[in-house]
Amino acid sequence: MVQSKRQKYLFLAFCLLPTFLVFVIFTVYPMFNGLYLSFFDWSGTSAVKEFIGLENYRQLFRDPVIPNAIWHDYFLVLTKVIGIMILALFFAVALTQLRIKEAPFYRIVFFFPNIMSVVIIGILWQFIYNPDIGIINAGLEIMGLENWTKPWLGSLEWALPSLVLPSIWAGIGLFMLLLMGGIMNVPKNLYESAEIDGANEWQQFWKVTVPLIWPQIKTSIIYIVITSLNGSFVLVQVMTRGGPSNVTEVMGSYLYEKAFADYQFGYGAAIGVLILVVSLITVILLQFILKREKVEY
Amino acid sequence: MRIGKVMSQISVRIPLVLWAIIVIYPLIWMFLGSFKSNAEIFASPWTLPETFELDNFISAWSDYNIGSSFMNSIFVTTLGTILCLVFGIPTSYAIERLRFKGSEVLFNTYLAAMMIPSVLGWIPLFFLLAHFNMLDNLWALSLVYAVSHIPFTIFIITSFMENVPKELEEAAAIDGMSPYGILFKIVTPMVKSGIITASILNAVAFWNEYFMALILLQSESKNTLGVAMDLLNQNAQYNSAWGALFAGLSIAVIPIIIIFAIFQRYIAKGMTEGAVKG
Repeated sequence: MVQSKRQKYLFLAFCLLPTFLVFVIFTVYPMFNGLYLSFFDWSGTSAVKEFIGLENYRQLFRDPVIPNAIWHDYFLVLTKVIGIMILALFFAVALTQLRIKEAPFYRIVFFFPNIMSVVIIGILWQFIYNPDIGIINAGLEIMGLENWTKPWLGSLEWALPSLVLPSIWAGIGLFMLLLMGGIMNVPKNLYESAEIDGANEWQQFWKVTVPLIWPQIKTSIIYIVITSLNGSFVLVQVMTRGGPSNVTEVMGSYLYEKAFADYQFGYGAAIGVLILVVSLITVILLQFILKREKVEY
Repeated sequence: MRIGKVMSQISVRIPLVLWAIIVIYPLIWMFLGSFKSNAEIFASPWTLPETFELDNFISAWSDYNIGSSFMNSIFVTTLGTILCLVFGIPTSYAIERLRFKGSEVLFNTYLAAMMIPSVLGWIPLFFLLAHFNMLDNLWALSLVYAVSHIPFTIFIITSFMENVPKELEEAAAIDGMSPYGILFKIVTPMVKSGIITASILNAVAFWNEYFMALILLQSESKNTLGVAMDLLNQNAQYNSAWGALFAGLSIAVIPIIIIFAIFQRYIAKGMTEGAVKG
């Protein structure tokens, strides 16, 4: 094949440059510019950006909302990880190990909420929790548990925990599929020999299944943590706007509020940096905690 | 022994059935609610609507801008998905097939971008678009969407290109086909299922996107479905247009259900692969 060097480079540039250019403009530049903005006091409209060094970060440490927002983020992450992993593992084992005829039905149904919009999920669940027309209170009334009915999302105590169920509802299917993929790759004869050795189903689960699908478990946990730290604020924004009185405020919703409602763009950018740093630290720590020797039998 | 087996089969099914109800019931409730009048909605959440009239749908579609935002969402979803392929396919090919200095680094840069939270970038993105007078512009929003999914698209399509036999390209090159022809006429058709997988997932993500649209769009006529639904939801808290809100939710979900029914396998496969790498 005869091709001049020049033509080859031209083709390479054709393939790579346009894409890289838009990627730099719309993804890379905004990240660095965000970091840069976090050192300024800027209302967005005025031509003057005042350089204030680390003042935004000092304010971050003094702001009483910030530690609460971080705690709320972690509360959601933790409850999501526990809820999703327990249910997804149970469902994954049930749908792969036990012969259930209608398994494909469950697989499809459980997965569906994963592709629904968070806005739709948020609004739908706002309805479900609605004290007057929602099905949760109506259901409690039917069961004779009137005293348990409450204005879920309007309650200071219950607003934050109420956000957990929709997130689990929305997320479970993907992780169930991931774990099912892992379980189906576990060689059948391992269970047979475990059975011969007298291991009951519970022991088989802990001694065979869990160690062998550890990579999938680890991936799932880390993925839940990343998506939750970077995305749970959308649900918050739709369902509660951080209220009542900040009890559901998370870092992302606070950033939106400070930047796009209070026009403190420099401070908002500093919150953005905080989100980035907190998620990176969390993921690195998790990689370390979840590290296990690779198991092969 | 047999009784024990039956018992365990039943006890395993209880949580499965329960969760299936928890997933399906709210959706059914939503569809039924979209046919109900306010009085019916308040009377009881468990009953069927008295009549199946489309009033709520009509009101949501025209009075609450769901119609125009539905069209806007179709526009940004289509354009965004196409742009993703335009940007993604050539780069995927170059990374996977043309060995050049730094191809590995470039690939990892794109991969890393999949994992780094984009929240920090939103403030500068807002001012960047403002600077170029591209706020409140559906073309610009589509471009921003497309760029945000370039890494995912590259990730999926390169993994499909791995399996395209090299001999095909070599044969075409010997026949005198230009590299452009090889890319578009030989390789691109071979990775059709990769393109479908990436496109479906991109389209679903763009259809569902809310936050960037909230920040980057301003006028009601430009709103996409997510933003319009959010507005409708806020209004409903005051004017109690619950029926219209239910209808709006249904309108937003129906296309997703159709897509899911057709492409369920592609979606499941693409999303699990994305999660493994991401």
